[in-house]
Amino acid sequence: MISYLANPKRFEAFARIAIPVCGGLALLLIAAGLWFGLLDSPPDRYQGDTIRIMYVHVPAAWLGLGLYLAMAVASFVYFIWRHNLADVAATALAPVGAVFAAICLVTGAIWGKPTWTVWWVWDARLTSMLIQFLLFLGYIALRAAIEDERLAARSAAILAMVGLVNLPIVRFSVEWWDGLLHQGATVFRADGPAIHGSQLLPLMIMVFGFTFLAGWMVLYRMRSAIMSRKAGNLQRIREAKA
Amino acid sequence: MRAGRIFLREARLGFAGGGGPAAPAAFFLACLTLAPLAIGQSPETLQAAGPGIICFVTLLAVLQGAERLFGEDVTDGTLEAYALSGMPLSIVALAKVLGVAAATMWPLPLVAWGAGIAYGLPAEAAGILALSLTAAIPGLCLITAMAAALAAGARRGGLVIALIAAPLAIPLMVFTASAGRASLAGDPAASANLMLSCASSLFLVALAPFAIAAALRARLE
Repeated sequence: MISYLANPKRFEAFARIAIPVCGGLALLLIAAGLWFGLLDSPPDRYQGDTIRIMYVHVPAAWLGLGLYLAMAVASFVYFIWRHNLADVAATALAPVGAVFAAICLVTGAIWGKPTWTVWWVWDARLTSMLIQFLLFLGYIALRAAIEDERLAARSAAILAMVGLVNLPIVRFSVEWWDGLLHQGATVFRADGPAIHGSQLLPLMIMVFGFTFLAGWMVLYRMRSAIMSRKAGNLQRIREAKA
Repeated sequence: MRAGRIFLREARLGFAGGGGPAAPAAFFLACLTLAPLAIGQSPETLQAAGPGIICFVTLLAVLQGAERLFGEDVTDGTLEAYALSGMPLSIVALAKVLGVAAATMWPLPLVAWGAGIAYGLPAEAAGILALSLTAAIPGLCLITAMAAALAAGARRGGLVIALIAAPLAIPLMVFTASAGRASLAGDPAASANLMLSCASSLFLVALAPFAIAAALRARLE
């Protein structure tokens, strides 16, 4: 799959179909998820209507982590095989992931105020997400700071991989540092999800909707980046001729 | 043997150039003097915040020398000479970073011990804190070296180095400061935290040189 798409022409053909499909699915699923989540599901027994924030918060958290993993994998592929498309993917993923991590933090704070009575607590899960956000910012800053494009790509790829190795250690040390306030895993558990069906359905729809939204934005950004690289090359050739 | 020579060369250069061990120690002391002026002089606050502040300021003191670490090597050809020496670049990186760290960072635990006492920690808690700082400093130096190798020669490299080093320094911050705090509370977890500081540092000694070498090699191509 990856080596098939590594050819920019094939990627272009793939993206031309995948971008509108992802976009359409994202709009459809998010609209349906919002309908079920905001209007057609009962308020939570303990949390009341604030539970509805979860339908945005949880998908954003999943993407904040998932897009970092994708970025690290793309960086690894670029570092080993030097596929330029993998570097384009990692570059496109970083700001999208950073925005989802930020959405997760902000919606979490809005939820925390009525539920825990404070905007923020220095709890293990919250702190890990904040660190996740910092990792994205570090990646973007390093890329922006190095002028030589190829060196920037190589250095940023190393940083993304180092960040991935560091992630479980951060999780462990942050949990060591603090007892848990944030609720633990609720959906993915060995004994089945501990969440009611009326909440699980809109949550799952929103998770898929957000995932397609991220796919839409990332593919769009990748396609634009490839076009702008091509345009840059053409301009360089023209300047060389003139 | 030749790694030892690189260690000694870098230690000599670190000791002699740019203020040597006095510069980070003086910066460290200045930050530790300002902290009580900022947070107030109540003995309870100072005692509770002391280990954390001392750890955090150690990170700042290590970071302030980071931009210089590889900056000159990249421009003056030292890096090429090291790459041609036939030794693995990761060993060279480890010898260099530990050499500079040994030559310039050794006063920090001593100052930290004194500062801990000035912040109202009992001598034993201050001692545990100084010990775990001794364990953490090689790790912190390797983290900042990794960031410095990635960002060498970048625009506003110092800022970028601090930004990418911060998430990597979290485990060391947690374990080192916890060792001091637990010892203050008479909690036996102090020695566990001290061990975890050593473990984090050793983990970095084992793995960080490869990342540094990869970053340096990207510059040589």
